[in-house]
Amino acid sequence: MTAAPPLARLYAGFVRRRVVLLVALAVALAASFLVDIATGPAALPLRDVVAGLIDRAALPRAQGVILWDVRLPYAAMAVFVGAALGLAGAEMQTVLNNPLASPMTLGVSFAATFGASVAIVLELDLFGLGANVAIAASAFAGAAGATLLIYALSRSVGATKDTVVLFGIAMFFTFNALVSLIQFVANTDALQQIVFWTMGSLARATWGKIDVIAVVLVLCVPLSLRDAWALTALRGGEEQARSFGIPVERLRLTVLLRASLLAAVAVAFAGAIGFIGLVGPHIARLLLGEDHRFYLPGSALAGAVVLSAASIASKLLIPGLIVPIGIVTALVGIPLFMALVLGQRRAP
Amino acid sequence: MTRGLSLHDLSVGYGRRTVLSGLELETVPPGSLVAVIGPNAAGKSTLLKAIAGLRPASGRIVLDGEDLTAMAAHRRVRLVGYLPQALPQGTSLVAYEAVLAALRAVRGDGSAEAAIDAVFDQLGLRDLALRRLGEMSGGQRQMVGLAQALVRRPRLLLLDEPTSALDLRWQLTVLETVRAIAARDHSIALLAMHDLNLALRACDLVVVLAHGRLLTAGPPEQAMSPDVLRRAYGIEGRVERCSQGFPIVLSDRAVPRSEPSGSIPP
Repeated sequence: MTAAPPLARLYAGFVRRRVVLLVALAVALAASFLVDIATGPAALPLRDVVAGLIDRAALPRAQGVILWDVRLPYAAMAVFVGAALGLAGAEMQTVLNNPLASPMTLGVSFAATFGASVAIVLELDLFGLGANVAIAASAFAGAAGATLLIYALSRSVGATKDTVVLFGIAMFFTFNALVSLIQFVANTDALQQIVFWTMGSLARATWGKIDVIAVVLVLCVPLSLRDAWALTALRGGEEQARSFGIPVERLRLTVLLRASLLAAVAVAFAGAIGFIGLVGPHIARLLLGEDHRFYLPGSALAGAVVLSAASIASKLLIPGLIVPIGIVTALVGIPLFMALVLGQRRAP
Repeated sequence: MTRGLSLHDLSVGYGRRTVLSGLELETVPPGSLVAVIGPNAAGKSTLLKAIAGLRPASGRIVLDGEDLTAMAAHRRVRLVGYLPQALPQGTSLVAYEAVLAALRAVRGDGSAEAAIDAVFDQLGLRDLALRRLGEMSGGQRQMVGLAQALVRRPRLLLLDEPTSALDLRWQLTVLETVRAIAARDHSIALLAMHDLNLALRACDLVVVLAHGRLLTAGPPEQAMSPDVLRRAYGIEGRVERCSQGFPIVLSDRAVPRSEPSGSIPP
């Protein structure tokens, strides 16, 4: 009789399957990204897109401008914003132990919208770094404030999963009202910008904005992955995680601040796009489980794929018109959210 | 150096409310299984959490001559393994990675593979290694939790109601496994338990908590005297041996509220 194979070997096979799925998500993202670039009012075949991405001079000047100055920033913004929201949602769901947590459902996106609106109305400019950085910083202040408030309330009253979502709804309406108040007093230019934020749209994508989101992602992703084992252990139960020596309170606080930053930059430049932070992590959980070495990058990739696909849909829904992407994600996201709520109720 | 576990003037509370006060426990020798019993809200779980470092406590908890309360957290977690009463449901982690995370969560724990293989074999969990925790029964989840607590081969194992979700066969299996591990590693296991008969049968020592105090500690039949049953649980009862020779608690009646139960005032 031969000895049973070491479990490590079985687990290595299991891990390989997850790596394959992660690569498949990345391939799906690349495909969606290219189709997103190729989709729009002006014809731009996929072959030309690839050729133009490799060498701008390969395309006629007009097509080169459409590709590099219009389509590419738009599609890249969808990818980066989707990744930021997916990662933020995954981290929030883990540290709050709540699969319904996301920047939108907790009201964090609207708090960031409020912060961004204040920066627009007051025409803030932090240390001469320009309006983009000031709007992002102000959005972060709003998002972090809302997140910490929910965190403090949850801790002080020993909130259940349902209560945390109720706090989120309260936060959502509070900041919605505050944004309406700012709209009421804002001048016409500022009002137009704020309305854009509340709908969620990629239409104002620029390379400068993408740079800010990319920098934040480059800073946050390694920090998220550094905490992957601790977050995985936290999914096995808070008390047990603490008994393993994980400083759970410190971890929770740093992760929530990080998630707020990710949500804030996404909202600062694309407005309050809903449900990506909810849907991305759920897709990743279904495909990859909750080992956070795979779950966190998987959530970012899934968020990016979904927003990129929504971007394509937003151009195809009404011919000749680009529907604000927040409307598309809400229409798809709300039924999914309801399905998750009902699924939770059925769970033992 | 005296090997074993002892408690000295240990008090634990939640905020201003004191739950356990002035606990003294003489040295429990290595290899022992200790049942911590008592009525509801006696502070059994609180005691285990305090020893695990999850609740602030005053007094001293001495393990193998070292005071755990004065020890750096990273050393303490290597000496003490803890299994909480409630484990989360609905997580998508598979059993293997839950145990791997228990090792990897604190950086610097190497040689995970051999340790995990050993603990899965010991607990008979090999077939569940790649199954999601959310798809397991309560008992299976509890076994995985036990594997997480055991994988570092701690000197002191704290198990809060480790058999509460298990059927009769698994209850005995778990207790026999814990006994074998304690004997092999010369470690000590403290088990908070509600089932007095299982506690009497499986453990070397019984610690009885009631009204925030340690009422008595000693060999099972000695500790579970009719007087202790009356004072701790408010029942008239006795310990007798069954036809197989195992001690069992027989409760005759609840002491009416009008009669003094002899309980220690809080």
